Amino acid sequence: MSDERRSTSNKADANDEVLQWVTFKLENEVYGINVMQVQEVLRYSEIAPVPGAPLYVLGIINLRGNVVTVIDTRSRFGLEPCDVTDNTRVVVIESEKQVIGILVDSVAEVVYLKASEIDDAPNVGNEESAQFIQGVSNREGELLILVDLDKLLSDDEWDELKQF
Amino acid sequence: MSKPLAASKKVMKNYLSELLTDEPIVIEQIADSPKGIKDKSRVEALLKNVNADLDVAPHEITTHKSLVLPPHFIKEEFAPSENSGQLKQQSEAMLTTQKSHGNNLISPPKSYRQGDFQALFFNVAGLTLAVPLIELGGIHNVDKITSLMGKPNWFKGVMLHRSEKINVVDTALWVMPEKYDETLKNSLNYQYIIMLNNSPWGLMAENLVDTVVLKQDEVKWLDSPSKRPWLAGLVKDKMCALLDIEALIALLNEGSGINQFD
Repeated sequence: MSDERRSTSNKADANDEVLQWVTFKLENEVYGINVMQVQEVLRYSEIAPVPGAPLYVLGIINLRGNVVTVIDTRSRFGLEPCDVTDNTRVVVIESEKQVIGILVDSVAEVVYLKASEIDDAPNVGNEESAQFIQGVSNREGELLILVDLDKLLSDDEWDELKQF
Repeated sequence: MSKPLAASKKVMKNYLSELLTDEPIVIEQIADSPKGIKDKSRVEALLKNVNADLDVAPHEITTHKSLVLPPHFIKEEFAPSENSGQLKQQSEAMLTTQKSHGNNLISPPKSYRQGDFQALFFNVAGLTLAVPLIELGGIHNVDKITSLMGKPNWFKGVMLHRSEKINVVDTALWVMPEKYDETLKNSLNYQYIIMLNNSPWGLMAENLVDTVVLKQDEVKWLDSPSKRPWLAGLVKDKMCALLDIEALIALLNEGSGINQFD
């Protein structure tokens, strides 16, 4: 390989940023969230319902003295509710300068993805939940749906959460 | 024959009858429609007020020619009257009426519109559909389909095939949403994905029937603008719909369902 070609190749690699994604499952699909936004992953503990809370809020948990609001991810993604199992987890994330929990069926692993390995999701449908998808990636024959956590809630909803 | 199957066949028969009796929207119809007649009489009434002997055949009035008369012609040939401004406004109003049919533009002729061509027939929920072979992108077996939230209900999800991401369409739901109920949904046994040309779109199919060489006169072509742009024509012998793949891809890219023109 000539020096010029090697240099071009290195530049391309430099632009091809590698990001880490925490993957979780809901129903039968695998979703990914940026590892930088994940604070911790908790086993399911009792979620205290909050009277008058919006439908997308399951309730609150006490995390070492701090109150964390838990979002009903299934309903947010338009999925039917399901029973809690041993694999159910609460993923504590930081988004829009707020710490919230999202309830998921299970947490799988942390994966590394190059920016070039991420494709746009099909641009059809204008439902609100379509905005959650940041991209998709073919990972070992399985489609990984990458979620934009900042868009999980609208601006008004994020503001509403501050009241908790 | 079981009752549900008989009912399903009856539904399909009715559906095909609807397709066959579907009259295309022809621009010329405007002149003959009640609104067209009203417009025509309104124009005639307006022309009576113009202070000149104007010998214009009625059919000419509704054409674009009457609307694109150069301004100097009107000025020189007709003495100005109080109604001339009104006439101009009315003419512009008529022009916008024509514009509302902009969606029904006639697309350029397809390659399969000359001579014999091959078509692949496949079944979905008892309905047979045909795709011109020249516009067939491929056929895959149904594999795991990953559903994406926030998409139209006919968008089944994305199926991976090697490095390719296929946007899978629930064909029965797209083609006949009004007949798609829980019973029909549960009876579907999708096995194949029919790829549409070079697009990422694939239609789900239950069975592949056959590939047949069709002659031009074996198809009732729907060349005129229709409220079903995805329908290229009807195969007379098999009484089934021949899909216009190009128009179908355009509709799917827009995220449009089948009833967007209804």
